Amino acid sequence: MAIYLQILSNGLMLGALYACLAVGFSLVWGVLNVINMLHGSFIILGGYLTFFAWHLYGIHPVVMLPLVAALMFALGFALQKLVINRVVSAPVLTTLTLTFGLDMILYNAMTYWFTATPRRITLDLGAVHLGSIVLPVDRLVGTGLALAMTLLLYAVMRGSSIGRAIVAVRMDRSAAELMGIRTDRIYAITFGIGALMAGVAGVVFATVFPITTNVTGIWLGKAFVVCVVGGLGSVPGALVGGLVLGLVESFAGHWFGPQQAITAGFVLMLVLLLTRPTGLVGVRGYE
Amino acid sequence: MFAQGILRSARAGLLAGGVATGLLAAALTSPALAQETIKIGAPLALTGGLADEGHKQDVVWKMWVEKINAAGGIQVGDKKLKVELIEYDYQSEGQRASQLAEKLINDDKVQFLFSPFGSGHTKIVAGVGERYQVPTIACVASSESVYDQTLKYLFGTLSPNGGMTTAMVKFFKEKFPKTKSIAVLGRDDVFPKSMAEGIAKAAEAGGLTIAYKELYPVGTMDHAAALSSIKAAKPDWIYITGYTQDLILARKQMQDLGVTAPIVTMVTGPSYKEFTDGLGPLANGISSSSWWHHLTSYEGQGMWPTTAAFYEDFKARTKGDPDYVHGSCAAAGEVIVDALARAGSLDKAKVRDAIAATDIQTFYGPIKFGPNGMNLSRELPIIQVQDQAIKVLAPAAIKNADMIAMP
Repeated sequence: MAIYLQILSNGLMLGALYACLAVGFSLVWGVLNVINMLHGSFIILGGYLTFFAWHLYGIHPVVMLPLVAALMFALGFALQKLVINRVVSAPVLTTLTLTFGLDMILYNAMTYWFTATPRRITLDLGAVHLGSIVLPVDRLVGTGLALAMTLLLYAVMRGSSIGRAIVAVRMDRSAAELMGIRTDRIYAITFGIGALMAGVAGVVFATVFPITTNVTGIWLGKAFVVCVVGGLGSVPGALVGGLVLGLVESFAGHWFGPQQAITAGFVLMLVLLLTRPTGLVGVRGYE
Repeated sequence: MFAQGILRSARAGLLAGGVATGLLAAALTSPALAQETIKIGAPLALTGGLADEGHKQDVVWKMWVEKINAAGGIQVGDKKLKVELIEYDYQSEGQRASQLAEKLINDDKVQFLFSPFGSGHTKIVAGVGERYQVPTIACVASSESVYDQTLKYLFGTLSPNGGMTTAMVKFFKEKFPKTKSIAVLGRDDVFPKSMAEGIAKAAEAGGLTIAYKELYPVGTMDHAAALSSIKAAKPDWIYITGYTQDLILARKQMQDLGVTAPIVTMVTGPSYKEFTDGLGPLANGISSSSWWHHLTSYEGQGMWPTTAAFYEDFKARTKGDPDYVHGSCAAAGEVIVDALARAGSLDKAKVRDAIAATDIQTFYGPIKFGPNGMNLSRELPIIQVQDQAIKVLAPAAIKNADMIAMP
């Protein structure tokens, strides 16, 4: 029994990190209809900023969180405003190709500057023991931050005028324009929020996982699966998708061996695509 | 009539053009011009996922080329020829490595190929070298499956993986006689998988029980489920294979989840400085094996008469310590120097036969290729991280510390 409780807690902590990783990607895909291939590299860029601030100047990752978030928002906003907005109305393949090209530039620039050497913030914070269950403190903090940021984004989307404007553009761009919403600006803000959330995920991940450009594709792949499982374009969708994927990978790894853990996640994705293309809590029309 | 005239003129023009091109090509590839330098082609992963490993090869090959050219070049028959190293970045994409190997052979007319990092990509490049009968020297491929393809032109300076498993089981059982069981977790990739399977086989043959044995797929970013199962199995020895990022994550999660054993081995983790840098104090106690370590004290022919001479040279150039990738890749250059001196010509078949007959002592250790083209087995160093530094536990001749249990 103890081992199942351990696996359950492992899965929930992993799932919260997955949710944090995917929420920005889901938002950009759902609102802009842009599959942002840069998302994995944004996460790692956030991780590198955190690592070097800690390594060179001793700045704690928690202190870096707002700074990285602001920088990544500015980067995302500028990128959408100056580059992606030019083709944002084009078919999805065009924007996908554009972000793929931009990703190649960013990915290789990071590999060139930082090298692909795996780096780690060695803040080993120990673990909390609840009976026989072990909860690593850095994962607990990461989980807390991931959930807090995801819920904050949810609150912004529900309660602020910018959030309502984003939801309006997602529902009907033309109608939103007729209501006086400057869609180009909303697009740039949305992409900025997507980059911000990727940066936040990068800060959280920097304390838990090794930081290296080798894993940008892996994180991007996880974001895809979370979006399909949970549903596109909504914060609750990313949260549910992340938690479900974390639990499925964790239990599949235990029952069928680690070799099948990732496969189980993709099988779940395929089953949902066939039976419920909107995802578990997605909105019809965004499948 | 008019059309026929045009066709005739065109044919004559093409013929003249063809003859001229042929003459030009012949002039360009005439022995006098083509043999001014010895060209070695290297498809390298300078960007992409294997960029770090690619840069290690790049650094050491450039160092070797500079050194050999400063000494006048390589002796071939009665003259000394300088070396030209032609590198292309294959961006860590296997398919591109194959295309660039073809370009190096067909466009750049290289006489030798240095293969890229890893058994998988070596397999790809060696296939191209074989097709054009261009000798290919692999310095970072140790899986015997790469050399089981009856490739006559492929030679590897690393010893077979097998040399890293049986001796380790024997050594650990001597040091920790209470060792009864082992848990093996390996990355499902050419080299890490073969090491995981090799250690399980060697452990069983050595009388140990396999308490857990699983592979994890490429791209795994969480080992919690596997480590929780290992914890429940309570093994005396935990053996994990993978690339540096996998092993750093696995060690970190072992600490988080309280998973430990008297012996913890990670392959090839501690062979790389970035592993100990990334883990800090968590690296302490982790054992491994390596094909070469700069603390070894070999002597022999070539640009560096001793291991210490190579170490000093490397340190002066890069400010860092060399690992087995650097040692093995520099040794690949020495294989070419020795073979050309004995072949006395650049004739592909003669050079290939000369490489096959290699039997030399170098700063890297002995190099003698077996029938499959792999460097023969020898006693490989067993290492352990102690106080965040690498210590050699065996063989006895180069040992500088006693083995400790995991802290």
